[in-house]
Amino acid sequence: MTETADVKAAKKRLPSAQRFIIGVSKFWPWVFLGLMVLFFLIAVPVFSGGASFWSVRNSQNILVAITPVLLLGLGQTFVIISAGIDLSVGWVMSLASVFSAHAIRATYNAGVPLPFAVMAGFFAAVFSAASVGLVNGLIIAKLKVPAFIVTLGTSFVVRGLALLFSENTTVIGLPDGIRDYGNESLFYSIRGDGGGFYVLEPPADLTTAMIRQMDRILPWPVVITAVVVAICIFLLRKTQFGRHTYAIGGNMQAALRTGIPVDSHIIKLYMLSSVTAGIAGFLSTLRFTAGSAVIGDPLLLSSIAAVIIGGVSLFGGAGSIMGTVIGALIIAVLTTGLVMLNVQAFWQFIVVGVVVIVAVLIDQSRDLIIGRGRSGRGGA
Amino acid sequence: MRIRRLLATVAVATITGSLAISAATGQDKIKIGFLPGVVDPFYQVMQLGVEKAAADLGVEVVTQIPPTWGVEAQTPILDALIARGDLDYIITAPTDKDQMVAPLQAALDAGIKIITVDTFLGDGDYANGPVNFPIAYIGSDNMEGGRISARGLAKAIGGKGTVYINSTNPNVSSVEARELGFKEVMVAEFPDIKVLGPDYNLDDQNKAAQQTGAVIEQNPDLAGVFGTNVFSAGGAGNAVVNAGLSGAVQVVAYDATAEAIELMGKGVVSLVLAQKPFDMGYMAVQFAVADNAGVTSLPKRVETGFAIIDKDNVADPEVARFIYRVPN
Repeated sequence: MTETADVKAAKKRLPSAQRFIIGVSKFWPWVFLGLMVLFFLIAVPVFSGGASFWSVRNSQNILVAITPVLLLGLGQTFVIISAGIDLSVGWVMSLASVFSAHAIRATYNAGVPLPFAVMAGFFAAVFSAASVGLVNGLIIAKLKVPAFIVTLGTSFVVRGLALLFSENTTVIGLPDGIRDYGNESLFYSIRGDGGGFYVLEPPADLTTAMIRQMDRILPWPVVITAVVVAICIFLLRKTQFGRHTYAIGGNMQAALRTGIPVDSHIIKLYMLSSVTAGIAGFLSTLRFTAGSAVIGDPLLLSSIAAVIIGGVSLFGGAGSIMGTVIGALIIAVLTTGLVMLNVQAFWQFIVVGVVVIVAVLIDQSRDLIIGRGRSGRGGA
Repeated sequence: MRIRRLLATVAVATITGSLAISAATGQDKIKIGFLPGVVDPFYQVMQLGVEKAAADLGVEVVTQIPPTWGVEAQTPILDALIARGDLDYIITAPTDKDQMVAPLQAALDAGIKIITVDTFLGDGDYANGPVNFPIAYIGSDNMEGGRISARGLAKAIGGKGTVYINSTNPNVSSVEARELGFKEVMVAEFPDIKVLGPDYNLDDQNKAAQQTGAVIEQNPDLAGVFGTNVFSAGGAGNAVVNAGLSGAVQVVAYDATAEAIELMGKGVVSLVLAQKPFDMGYMAVQFAVADNAGVTSLPKRVETGFAIIDKDNVADPEVARFIYRVPN
């Protein structure tokens, strides 16, 4: 019994108005994003004197801006679909940032070539993050403590560990070349005379004017995040892992009775959530050329907001990766657009808050129509 | 249907809100982005200086203030400022001397020149240091500020006893130098004074109060506290008042907020070091305009100095004008 079959069956016996709401519930994040982009496309040139929202540079900026929030949201999507929650991801990201910076610096200083030192940093980030996820998962699955409490607790523990292992919050002294890994791109395009399109590296000896005309297309953090998104989509839609995730979130008791190994699956889910946060920490170390023990703290709530705006049900059983991508995009487009309109960035919080509540209202009204009340849901 | 209406309301509210706030702008003038570190009275006064200079010199300024202190809050706003594509200069207080190098380098790559105020990148030596792309650093000589604070506190407590440093964030050029200058003087000139800390409150005044309170509990003989900025000094002052130790524990406050001055009136704060954020903001705009006009001999580093405020001179208008006052 999957979500789509559920919805299809329900649709057949519904009047058109209710069918419309189900349609809206599915596509409204896309529509909202589209309307918002349209609004900024018109408003930015009019109100900020010639600046354009529609530029290659701006599109790439928005993509870079969503990477940390999106990576935190990707693993979280799986967890929330399974009717859980992971409040530790922000600090797991910080912990991973600190450990990856230590690993890069230590291996590079020991004479390891930079690309391998960066790999060491990646594994340090992923393993430190995964071990937090393992602890979260074990306590939630085996000791049956609610996920909210467990991950709240571990977030404090991880926060302490990140600060302890950092050198007064920031791990510096990384090799110079690190900056390129975090800030350079797959393609470069130079507009105007003498310009062109370059792969991997811009031409040497550019004039200042040419640098000003250069767009960086697909910066490395975006490329890596896109790969993680693709893996998550595959996992959720095409594998047994994904089907089990929906099943556990839809009805835990039924999942147990059908023989799904619920405990081990939950452990894997929390490890996945930590690992995507760990990758976010690794990328932030590259981008800011230092490990930071506080980097993920302000991102946690934004990432949960992105997941919910994207249509993942907090009651479990429904949601998609693309929804989360759209949710993260909505938040990033809002920040960038408001700054370009000279509107204080604080307005972003107000708009995001309203959008989150609207998202849940839409989710609930759909559930009412389909007749899947909260009563039928299991879940920790 | 209710939901559709709700959505429409949200959209309309968003649009009208934006329209009301953004003003139509002119063209052909140089445009400057102003990106301070966080919302606090210090940067608000700096913003007044920036806006005054912009009005006097006929340039346009776009101000965006990060809601919290840190690279993760400052960078997306910086990126959006870069993405506007119409800025010629960005005046900013980097929230980390190492981590903000790459994001600000990206601004430079987009053709935007950088002036740092209050805090700097690298070691702050833009002539010979590791980071040399910003036009200038305009701010306090924070090392000297730390030394002045140390001597002021030492005098207030009679040259002996235990003192404690409460600071905001590590790896921020401004407060780091204040700690160093403070400790240097204590070690060199006041061997009978023992220095505890610093603890870092991460720009949270409640936390500063809590940390100071704990140190007071642990060290009943604590004689003085050095609060390295707005949040630290405010929190330290609160803790001393709450512990009923007003006058017994002396506080030296970096940054002349109204709160610090009020605490001085109550005998909690013995010395307030006022920086000159208005000067920093005003001069940074002047530097941008001069650079744009082709001036090539701008100094790479400008120290704006201090006003030292104590209970004897606080009423003097020549001194009181350096208290951070923001019109509501």
